[in-house]
Amino acid sequence: MSKIVAIKRFTLVGKLSLFFIVLLLFIGIFAPCLSSYTHNTPSGESLEAPSRDHLLGTDDLGIDLLSQIFYGARLSLIIGFSTSILAGLGGAILGVLSGYYGGLTDKIIMRLTDIMIALPDLPMMILLGAFFGPSIKNIVLVLVLFSWTGPARIIRSKVISIKKEAYIVMAKSYDASFYHLLKTHFLPEIMPILAITTIKITSRAIVAEAGLSFLGLGDPTSKSWGLILNHAINFKGIYFTEYWKWWVIAPLFSMMMLILSISYVSRDLEKVLNEKL
Amino acid sequence: MMFDCFKKFFEYSIIFFFILTLNFFIPRLMPGDPFTFLSSDEGGVHQSYSEEQIEMYKAYYGMDKPLQVQYSDYFKNLIRGNLGYSIYYNDNVLRLILRSAKWTLGITLISLLISTIMGTILGSLSAWYRNSIVDRGLYPVMILLSEIPAFLMAILLLFTLAAKSSLFPLSGGITVFGEYETWFDKLLDVLHHGFLPSLSLTLSQLGGFYLLARNSMITVISKDYMRTALAKGLSSKRIILRHGLRNSILPIITRVFMSLGSVLGGAILVENVFNYPGLGRLMREAVTVRDYVLIQGIFLVVAFLVLAMNLLADVLYKKIDPRVG
Repeated sequence: MSKIVAIKRFTLVGKLSLFFIVLLLFIGIFAPCLSSYTHNTPSGESLEAPSRDHLLGTDDLGIDLLSQIFYGARLSLIIGFSTSILAGLGGAILGVLSGYYGGLTDKIIMRLTDIMIALPDLPMMILLGAFFGPSIKNIVLVLVLFSWTGPARIIRSKVISIKKEAYIVMAKSYDASFYHLLKTHFLPEIMPILAITTIKITSRAIVAEAGLSFLGLGDPTSKSWGLILNHAINFKGIYFTEYWKWWVIAPLFSMMMLILSISYVSRDLEKVLNEKL
Repeated sequence: MMFDCFKKFFEYSIIFFFILTLNFFIPRLMPGDPFTFLSSDEGGVHQSYSEEQIEMYKAYYGMDKPLQVQYSDYFKNLIRGNLGYSIYYNDNVLRLILRSAKWTLGITLISLLISTIMGTILGSLSAWYRNSIVDRGLYPVMILLSEIPAFLMAILLLFTLAAKSSLFPLSGGITVFGEYETWFDKLLDVLHHGFLPSLSLTLSQLGGFYLLARNSMITVISKDYMRTALAKGLSSKRIILRHGLRNSILPIITRVFMSLGSVLGGAILVENVFNYPGLGRLMREAVTVRDYVLIQGIFLVVAFLVLAMNLLADVLYKKIDPRVG
C-alpha cells in the first residue's frame, strides 16, 4: 500500500520515466512475440531506411533494427538488474555484518571498499574482460565486483546508527538474537536506502556494459545496444551516408532514455522516502 | 600533519601493491598457457611449437622458474621502469604508453579544468539567484547532462557536428602529413581535432560539478556570516567571491582530483569514438589483437595516475581545511 502512495507522489517526469521502464520491461520479456522479424537473421534489403515494413530500418546485413532494439532491451535489463540485485544483496550482507559486528570484520570489509573505490573501474573491467573472455556472466561478475561497495558503505553506517538506538539496546537485553534483530528491526529501516542505491547501480551497469561492448569486449553472441552501436560506428561508410539516422540514433536514444528514466525514478524515490523519514 | 600525510601515503602504497599483485596473477589465473593460444590457428595464423621450442621460450620469458622468483623478478622489472615488450607493436610498452599518454592527458586535463570552472561559476550563480529564471532553466539541464555518459554524448556530437556539417574533423589528433607554417598553425590544428573529444568529456563532467557547487553554495549562503556580510552592506560580488566561494569551493577541489578516474574512463571510450590517438585507442587496439602485456601496462599506468591523484586530494583537503583529521 505504502509503495503505491509513494509512486503517486512522484513528479510528472518521474511517473513518465517509471512508465517507460515498465514498458521496456514488458518489451524485454515479450520481445519474441512483439517483433515480426527475427533479431539475428536478415529480413530485408541491407541498410533500408525506416519504412512501414521496417519501422526503424535495417542494418548492413538486412536485419530489422526494431527487433534488435527489442532484444537489446532484454539484454540491457538482464545485465542491469542482475548486477544490481547481486551487488545490492552482497553489499547489504557485508554492510550489515560490518556495521553490526564491528572490530576486525569491519576493518577488513572497509579496507576492501577503500581499494575498490580507489581503483579506476573501466580500465580494470577492460583488463578482466580481455583476460577472462567476454560473456554476459563475466561482465555481470566484473560489474558486481565494482558495485557492491556503495550499498555496503551506506548500509554499514545505517546499521551503526540504528544499533545505538534505545530500542535495539533494549531488545538485546531481552536476549534477542542477531537474526531476530535483523528481521524485525534492521531490515525495515535498511530496505528503502537499499532500494535507492541498487536502482542507481542498475543504470551504471547498463552504461558500463554498453561501454565494454563498444570497445569490442561485449558478449559477441548476444546483441546488446552497445554492440549495435559498435557495429554501426565501425561500418566504413557510416559518416558519409544517411545510415546513421536510424542505425546509430535508435540504440543511442533507447539507451539515453533508459538511463535518464532510471535516474529520474531514483531521484523521485529518494525525495519521497526522505520526506517520510 | 606530516604524520597524517605519511599514513595516507602508506595506505595508498598498500592499495597500489595490491593492484600490482593482481596484475601479476591475472594472466597466470587464465585457463591454458600462452602456447595453447599461439599454437591454435585463431586469427588465421597457424603456428605450432614443438616441445623443445616451448621449453626454450619458457626459459626465455622466465616462466620455468618458481612462482615466487617470477614474482620478485616482476617487481625488479617494474622498479627499472620495464613494463614489458609489446608483441604486436614490436616496441617497449612504456614508450608506447608515453607516446599516447600526452593526448589523453591533454583532453582530460583541459576538460576537467573547463568543467570545474564553468560548473563552479554556474552553480554559484544558480545558488545565489536561487529559484530565479536562470536557476530554474539551468538546474534541469544540468541534471540531464550529469546523467548522460561521455561516450554517448561523444557519438551524438560526432554525428551532429562532425559528420553532418563537417565543422570538425572526424578522427585523429592532428592532420596526417600536415605541414605547418608556424607552431601556432600546428597548435590550432591540434586544438581543432581535440575540440569535440574535450567537449564531450567537459559536458559529461559539467553537470556533476554544477550540482556540487550549487549545493555547496546553498549551504554556505544559509550561514550566519553571510547574513553579517550582507548586513554590513558589502557588494554582492565581494560577498560571493570573498565569503561564499572561499568556503564553498572545498568539496569542489577534492572532487576535481577524485573524478580523474571517471574522466580517464570516459576518455578511453571517447577516444575510440573519435579515433583519437590516446591511451584509450591504444588499449582498444591492444584488446583487439590480444596484446596482453600492453593492456596490463596501460592499466598499471592509469591506476597509478588515479591513485596518485586520490592521494593528492586527501592531502590537499587536509591542508585547506584544518578541521578535517
